[in-house]
Amino acid sequence: MDNQLIEQIEEARARTLDDARPGVVDKIHASDRLTARERITLLFDESSFIEYGALAGATTQPDDEHYADGLVAGVGMIAGQSVVAASYDSSVFAGTQSDRNHRKIAKLLYLAVEHRWPFVCFVEGAGARPDDPLPPPPIAVSPRGRFELYDGLAEMNGWAPTVAVVTGNAVDGHAAIAMLCDLVITSSDASFGSADGRSRKVTDFAKTGDVDVVANNECDAIEEARRYLSFYLTEPSSGNAPPDAEHIADIIPQNRRRPYDMRKVIASFADADSTLELGADWGRSMLTVLARLDGRTVGIYANQPKSPLAGAIDAAAADKASRFVELCDAYEFPIVTFLDNPGYMVGPQAEREGIARHHARPLAALHHRTVPLYSVQIRKAYGLGPYAMSGWGAARRVPELRLAWPSVESGGMSLEGAAYLVKRKEILAAESREEALAIRDGYAERMRDAASGLRAGRAYQFDDIVKPADTRQRILAMLQRTPRQISAHKKHPIDPR
Amino acid sequence: MKDETNDALRQAKDSQQDTSRADVVTHVHSGNKLTARERVDLLLDPDSAVEYGSIAAKSGDGEWIAEAGGVDFVGTIDNQPAIASSTDYTDHGGGYGAGRLGRLFGLAYEQRWPVVMFVDGGGSRARHPRAGLGHIETSGPIGRFSFLDGVPELSGWVPVVAIVSGPSFAGHASLAGFSDFLISTPGSAIGMGGPPMVEASLGHRLKANELAGSEMHEVAGGIDLLVADERDAIAAARRFLSYYREDDASAKETNLGANLDNIVRDTDDRYDVHEIIHALTDPGSVFELRPQFARSLITALARIDGKTIGIMANQPLVDDGVIDQNAATKISRFVELCNTYEYPMLSLIDTPGCISRWQLKGQDPGVDPLLTRWHARPLIAHQQRTVPLISVQLRRGRGLGAALMTGVSSTRGVPALRLGWPTAEIGHRDGFSAVVDHNAFDDIVAPGETRHRIERMLRLFKRKLDRPQKKHRIDSW
Repeated sequence: MDNQLIEQIEEARARTLDDARPGVVDKIHASDRLTARERITLLFDESSFIEYGALAGATTQPDDEHYADGLVAGVGMIAGQSVVAASYDSSVFAGTQSDRNHRKIAKLLYLAVEHRWPFVCFVEGAGARPDDPLPPPPIAVSPRGRFELYDGLAEMNGWAPTVAVVTGNAVDGHAAIAMLCDLVITSSDASFGSADGRSRKVTDFAKTGDVDVVANNECDAIEEARRYLSFYLTEPSSGNAPPDAEHIADIIPQNRRRPYDMRKVIASFADADSTLELGADWGRSMLTVLARLDGRTVGIYANQPKSPLAGAIDAAAADKASRFVELCDAYEFPIVTFLDNPGYMVGPQAEREGIARHHARPLAALHHRTVPLYSVQIRKAYGLGPYAMSGWGAARRVPELRLAWPSVESGGMSLEGAAYLVKRKEILAAESREEALAIRDGYAERMRDAASGLRAGRAYQFDDIVKPADTRQRILAMLQRTPRQISAHKKHPIDPR
Repeated sequence: MKDETNDALRQAKDSQQDTSRADVVTHVHSGNKLTARERVDLLLDPDSAVEYGSIAAKSGDGEWIAEAGGVDFVGTIDNQPAIASSTDYTDHGGGYGAGRLGRLFGLAYEQRWPVVMFVDGGGSRARHPRAGLGHIETSGPIGRFSFLDGVPELSGWVPVVAIVSGPSFAGHASLAGFSDFLISTPGSAIGMGGPPMVEASLGHRLKANELAGSEMHEVAGGIDLLVADERDAIAAARRFLSYYREDDASAKETNLGANLDNIVRDTDDRYDVHEIIHALTDPGSVFELRPQFARSLITALARIDGKTIGIMANQPLVDDGVIDQNAATKISRFVELCNTYEYPMLSLIDTPGCISRWQLKGQDPGVDPLLTRWHARPLIAHQQRTVPLISVQLRRGRGLGAALMTGVSSTRGVPALRLGWPTAEIGHRDGFSAVVDHNAFDDIVAPGETRHRIERMLRLFKRKLDRPQKKHRIDSW
């Protein structure tokens, strides 16, 4: 072969690399950002990246300088397993989407669907490219695959994980990619925008549940993406017990009305440094956390007594739990729940937010799950609260193991609330507030013994009442008897909301 | 059989009838309401009702009677088998026989019968916290399901209709919240916690309707239809189920009188897309769902040439036909309903695209032309849709708007037939159109020709109700 032909290609390829364009790279680094290629390099295991469409350009001219047509994309590895990734390059036509880079990403989504490889997309850019100069080639010679971009992502949803890492301003079509991914991680200064120049910072989206993780910067965001995917891709054969495992009971205050931080319970239960919290800034009365238990991946969701709603489940918390159950079920992460809630949120505001409709979402998601679920009731779970956290009572899926701690208070509503309703006449007739409270609390105390942990165990309301420090071992022992089984078919989508 | 046994049985049954409790019936009627038995009588076809638990104990000297508080039947509605259940708020506050309802849910599951249930009831029975389940007392699982897991299991398998014509709280509201189609009446309420519980836990003293009124839900999306009274609610339930039946041969009538050519004119024109929906469908066949919620997007059941079709349409008259978070939710839930009920779909597209509304603490409310995850829901719903969809682009289909109405037009979500009117905007460039498809339509049709085209396509589709399993549930939101 004519050596010149080979050289021409290799030269063109070399020009796409960061080394070949120091000016552009310096400018990106000056603003504390990574280049599109650096993100890919950080994401993947060393030397594992196989690039697709490196030579694509905005024109077919040999000296075209729109490298990779603004999208560095291909197949690489994370923890030794294949993952496809695409990274928009804001230094090429402002990272815009074109016919070529659309077909490139569509081709990679085809690979991802066919081989069940996770998909990561670094999104920033100005949406569709105005006046894209190249018309699409005839279909016969156009590598694209079965999917376009958005339907490829919809097809992936619930089949293999999809992650969007938002690194800058993601406009229109770029934002659409993010909203279709299972998990959205952003750097803290990123934003979503529209073609007319309007935008909103990602921290707002984190408060509404449209962004899952806000990382400090791009490097941290990439690390979180790797961590998220590692929950799906690998399970080490062991893990380190948390340092405070023996003292987990100390987190629960002696005064049963004092709140505590459920994050501490989770940290003392899961493997050391293994947790990744999703959606920390919204539906704050519900925590959703991926973690490991002696190396096994688990999805933990739990009520947060130390939150404005004191653990009550409002529409946002219900949506958050429901989506998390679907995510865990789709990717076969066993579920662990910690219960301490006063039930679903009541009152005019909660009703306006549609709690009567939203409350059913986690119940339905739990009803249709097939991954095992292990529940631990710490203190209370009133009304429909236990259903939301474990599907307790549902004939199709009951928790594989339903535990409670000795501090458990069983019952349909708070003892004080029940006492108020029973003694309402006397309470309203009381001369003073103190007297009213005394009547209420006196009656509540009489009911308390009936709702104690030991009574609950005697009534077989739980499979066991366990010592808090034994909980980890107990669930671990069950996990070992329920090995992860990956369904050969997609079970169901993960509802974006 | 001994006469005395027969007499005892007759007496036991008679005692449960409205004729044996004239004072209660008078009280119910004075509030312009129907008794539980009257509701079911109106709901089911004459002489079709078979009662379950007709002599179940309703009182017991202060004893806890789990099966009190309601009546349960199987029968037919327009000759189609159905479960009909009603709580009875005059009896133990409507805290009714959950075990019996669970049993009927089992029948509905096995026989694939639709369910219609009146679920107004008082909610909490605070005197019995020991039961663990609180207000939901069961007499134990006597059927395939306990009662709460029956509804998610039935969701997407058979139509589940709930009617709330009074205060409905806690467990009762939960049943309502799970239903596919929730009908309510003015003055009613649907909420997680009733006035006593709200008073006990939050200190607010509110009447049921102030706390969680159905009028509020009508606008907020919590119910599917608000009607004047219980009789209208029963008519609405029967009507909703009528679309599920086989084709309605009597409705075969064309409706070409309306001149469609002059409704959509130019890009600045705001028109009422209801006119177009009515002109394309059989006379009197349009039945709108959630009409007051997210009004920029219309969802309706209708018939064309006697065949049921689910119609979604952007409404340019309201906010120019934008798709906000609520409109997106309205789309995805409707697609799920049509997909599980096996209704072919028709999308009438004329939208400037998506917007998001923001109400964050400490910030002024805002409206942005931005996407949220709510906007991704319809795309996911379309991706699992297998019922055919016909789309007609009347004018604009900008941004992600058209994709939300049809699914992404490429592979699985592709409309079975994509039509455009001569007024359709083709090849619009915006921030979403990296690849502009100039071959966007299977055909451009004159407005007046549209119905013929749809009618012919509908004849080719076959309803696949004989699936051995349900496809998926219908999201409650």
